[in-house]
Amino acid sequence: MASAPKTFDENFLSRLDAIIARYPRSRSAIMPMLHLVQAREGYVTAEGIEVIAQKLDLTTAEVNAVASFYTQYRRTPAGEYHVGVCTNTLCAIMGGDAIFSGLKDHLGIENNERTADGKVSLEHIECNAACDYAPVVMVNWEFFDNQTVESAKTLVDDLRAGKKPAPTRGPNSVPTFKEASEVLAGFNDGRANEGIQAGDPTLLGLKIAKGERK
Amino acid sequence: MTAVQPQTDLITLTIDGFEVTVPKGTLVIRAAEQLGIQIPRFCDHPLLSPVGACRQCLVDIEINGRAFPKPQASCTIPVENGMVVKTQLTSEVAHKAQEGVMEFLLVNHPLDCPVCDKGGECPLQNQAMTSGRGESRFEGKKRTFEKPINISSQVLLDRERCILCARCTRFSKEIAGDPFIDMGERGALQQVAIYEKDPFDSYFSGNTVQICPVGALTGSAYRFRSRPFDLVSTPSVCEHCASGCSLRTDVRRNKTLRRLAGNDPEVNEEWNCDKGRWAFQYTMVKDRIATPLIRENGVLREASWPEAIAVAANGLQGKKAGVLVGGRATVEDSYAYAKFARATLGTNDIDFRSRPHSDEERDFLAAHVVGSKVRYSDIDTADHVVLVGFEPEEESPIVFLRIRKQVRKRALSVTAISPWQTRGFKKLQAKYIGVAPGAEGNALAQLSLTNQSVIVVGERLCESAGGLSAVAELARKSGAKIAWVPRRAGERGALEAGAIGNLLPGGRPISDAAARVDVAAAWSIESDSIPTSAGSDSKAIFAAAARGEIKALVIGGVDPFDMHAPDFAGLESAFVLSLELRPSAITERADVVLPVAAVTEKSGSFMSWEGRTRSFEQAVPETPHQSDLYILSLIAEALGKPLGFSTVRGAAKEFGTLANWDGARASFTSHPVANAAQGVTLASWRQLLDNGSLQVNEPNLAGTARKAVARINAQLAAKLGVANGDLVTISTDHGALSLNVELSDLVDDVVWLPRNAVASQSLRMLGVLNGAQVNIRKGL
Amino acid sequence: MSELEPKRAIDGAAEESIHIPIAGPASLFTQLKGFWVTFAAQFKKVTTVQYPEVKEPTAPRFHGRHQLNRHPDGLEKCIGCELCAWACPADAIYVEGADNSDEQRYSPGERYGKVYQINYLRCIFCGLCIEACPTRALTMTNEYELADDSRKKLIFEKEDLLAPLRSGMLQPPHPYYPGTDDQDYYHGRVTEAHPSQEQK
Repeated sequence: MASAPKTFDENFLSRLDAIIARYPRSRSAIMPMLHLVQAREGYVTAEGIEVIAQKLDLTTAEVNAVASFYTQYRRTPAGEYHVGVCTNTLCAIMGGDAIFSGLKDHLGIENNERTADGKVSLEHIECNAACDYAPVVMVNWEFFDNQTVESAKTLVDDLRAGKKPAPTRGPNSVPTFKEASEVLAGFNDGRANEGIQAGDPTLLGLKIAKGERK
Repeated sequence: MTAVQPQTDLITLTIDGFEVTVPKGTLVIRAAEQLGIQIPRFCDHPLLSPVGACRQCLVDIEINGRAFPKPQASCTIPVENGMVVKTQLTSEVAHKAQEGVMEFLLVNHPLDCPVCDKGGECPLQNQAMTSGRGESRFEGKKRTFEKPINISSQVLLDRERCILCARCTRFSKEIAGDPFIDMGERGALQQVAIYEKDPFDSYFSGNTVQICPVGALTGSAYRFRSRPFDLVSTPSVCEHCASGCSLRTDVRRNKTLRRLAGNDPEVNEEWNCDKGRWAFQYTMVKDRIATPLIRENGVLREASWPEAIAVAANGLQGKKAGVLVGGRATVEDSYAYAKFARATLGTNDIDFRSRPHSDEERDFLAAHVVGSKVRYSDIDTADHVVLVGFEPEEESPIVFLRIRKQVRKRALSVTAISPWQTRGFKKLQAKYIGVAPGAEGNALAQLSLTNQSVIVVGERLCESAGGLSAVAELARKSGAKIAWVPRRAGERGALEAGAIGNLLPGGRPISDAAARVDVAAAWSIESDSIPTSAGSDSKAIFAAAARGEIKALVIGGVDPFDMHAPDFAGLESAFVLSLELRPSAITERADVVLPVAAVTEKSGSFMSWEGRTRSFEQAVPETPHQSDLYILSLIAEALGKPLGFSTVRGAAKEFGTLANWDGARASFTSHPVANAAQGVTLASWRQLLDNGSLQVNEPNLAGTARKAVARINAQLAAKLGVANGDLVTISTDHGALSLNVELSDLVDDVVWLPRNAVASQSLRMLGVLNGAQVNIRKGL
Repeated sequence: MSELEPKRAIDGAAEESIHIPIAGPASLFTQLKGFWVTFAAQFKKVTTVQYPEVKEPTAPRFHGRHQLNRHPDGLEKCIGCELCAWACPADAIYVEGADNSDEQRYSPGERYGKVYQINYLRCIFCGLCIEACPTRALTMTNEYELADDSRKKLIFEKEDLLAPLRSGMLQPPHPYYPGTDDQDYYHGRVTEAHPSQEQK
């Protein structure tokens, strides 16, 4: 097994150790560690897999197996803003399919590809349980609900222009892909309470039950 | 004879209307097999943990009147009292379920049978016929992969054929401890995958080829060579290490095409190592010596057998001779050499040790090893296993697997005394005692063992003076058992056959007058024709030949460069008779060379390190070659002192009458542990796959050998100012070699080198043994 | 008893002999009748075929000498699977498979028949091998003039059995038709050779 590659500094390595320290069995740390590698590199690199294997005393094949299982672990760099369009049943018929093909044309890229300026990557994603806000687009896993083809095009143009639009439900501005990956690695960015938590359509049933709405 | 333990936890259940009683914990699929009911299966394997991945073994189960709502995988369900199981034979639901699963498995399986190596011996083919429907209802497009891909130089993976039973990944992880393959991706794209930079270089990767139920994992050496019906199979025994693996040799048209692991639960279960599986090309290389050769005017020329025998006999007649057997002779051949030395040549100067050895070792073998009956089962029941002078994964892989099995099963405690904490030791979760080479004896003295413990001693402990004495003392003190494991298959057999200067056949000490009389009587020779004092060992025989005291040498399969500081002067001056397969450093200096049969070309037996005799029949039917013992019998006849047998059966029969000596064994006097050398010392041993002569002509196997590196720890690296990957040069008065450094878990001030890699033949190039002081510097 | 005395067939049988009618000379008419048959036959049409001057054509599916067929661009159809050898009841076929590589390609797919021999002294021309062949590489021609004078000559090698190259075919080894793979060959989509396939 190779020793820790020189590309990772002490700070990064100690953060990996901090993740391992959370769990009674070190192997449980694989997934957040892979997210941290993505947070730093933008995707899961070979060095990332090797350093995780070395730290957890696993073979690179075992780490690779976990990394290849989940589509969230990318093997090519994501854009600064990773745009996901839900194309599962409900979102699809509510406009998701149209949004996805519209964005592909607009950006000139295919599924899982990145624009040349490195700003935006596009992917069709699975259901994120926001069916009451269909069709749903996510940017770096933050919700951008009730999109249309036009609004989606505006959204990606804004992202490429450097504007930081706010998610419809989430923090006050959309984080970068690396920032979001760091949160997924279990490092709290303190923004969990920003913005609205539950939107109107979600609370509709509750309000009706409580008699506040008909 | 121990009494059969009555089984207390027995469960009775009904399968297809038949009652069967089995121990608790038995899986339903195993219980069915006891009744002769074969439930189809792919992922299930009796030696691997159950996983229920393939779903083929579905059966209908009912417990106490309550039926399981769905058919269950019988390979994952342990039996219960009152369970009623209906397999495909009596349950329409189970039958339909199995057909359905088979149909699913065949959905993405390619129509490769005509080009697939597994065709003809394929469980998928067979079970598709027995448990599948005639036609598939699948009309889509099968998912495809690029195929095949090399996951190592010797194993090919065809991902389209893989049915994801996970036998290979389970074997690699559980049994071998080398999870270099794992299941990647998911869904229809799920596949067995390596990490590209780390190929499947496990010493046990060949077993995955054998247990793969389809043609997904195939061996590159056997690819497209043959079909099962072309092959004639012969059960055989591995001739490489001393593990004693049972093998099956498959021959087509007189050429060995492959060797599979045989099933022997007591020895190798169903596994073998890659060397035993694939290193057999050496018998079929083009430079096999075909005819006898005689040296005339300095050059070897071809001769007929009668002429060559006559010249050999003439060369040996009346001369003081020495016999070097080598570590790879069969038991019968070793016995022939041993008898030839005494009865025909009248000398005790015989030794089978063609590698570093010592007097301490010879005494140790005569006192503590010959006749011993320590077995693999003693490892199974041991409370503690100590490994000293021995790296099991490199030197006897099946011992490694056996120890590892117990470590996993019941956390068997293992202690490893070694200058380098290898990955093999870590896989055994061994408590590591780091010692500089030479100081093993001191570490042994500190241990406390019981009479259930086993001390596994490697052949290289003899290079550490006092090491074997410490083993003997520890065993005496604690009652622990000594398992001496040499690196070559023929050594234990040669020891028992008396092919060594201080022993006669059956472990009879030369020094014992009654033993000499006993053997002389059995051999029908004068009792005083056997010399009374122990003969010289290999080193001393060479030295005596150099001095002119020994004037003739009879040499079997010996590579002088395996020995410490080989002395060629004697070979030049003495009359040398060489019995060899191929040209070698010995044949270059021999006066007569006689070609001998390789193991596939004769019958015979090997003794495993346990002393267990493992017999095999001739696998290659037509061969011009004869066994060593036949050739020796011809020479003995020509010398007027016949051996009394000329066939393998004859030798085995005669040896059998001498094998059990119930007299006293030789005694053993302790040697003190030597003081450690100053400065940086050398640790070096042979790895499993290296430049060994039996591994020639098999580049696929060679591709998975460990990389040759110089190993030092961080402390020594800092002293030398080297970093990982830098070049270092190690030198002695004899010579030097340069290798790249790999930082490893070694003790301070020790450098480890492979003993026989192409770039690093440490014994040959540096001329020193373990524990010797060496110079080491950065760069060239 | 003296040996000259007739032995009784059955012990205790009656003394008198049993009369066994033996055909004596036939009547003249019966004898002449036989000669007439012979005479008349001189004027009947003879079914003898004057081989080798006259060679009657064989039936369309006649079991003659085997042939190893090619794809339209010249690649061999035989994939060296040994199924024909397996099926042969007379053990007349010997096959050794080998790897195709992109540089040295003899057939579509991974495998080709490197050694292919049929021993016509063992072959019983039953055609089970043709039935076994999965790629229709092995078929039987109508050629039956195989007699020869030595064993060696009657073991036909691959070059003796391969179908001749037709116009438009290229001698293997050569690569696939550009842009195709083995599936295209098996589906019959490759109908000719392309000049770029020619290996210098």
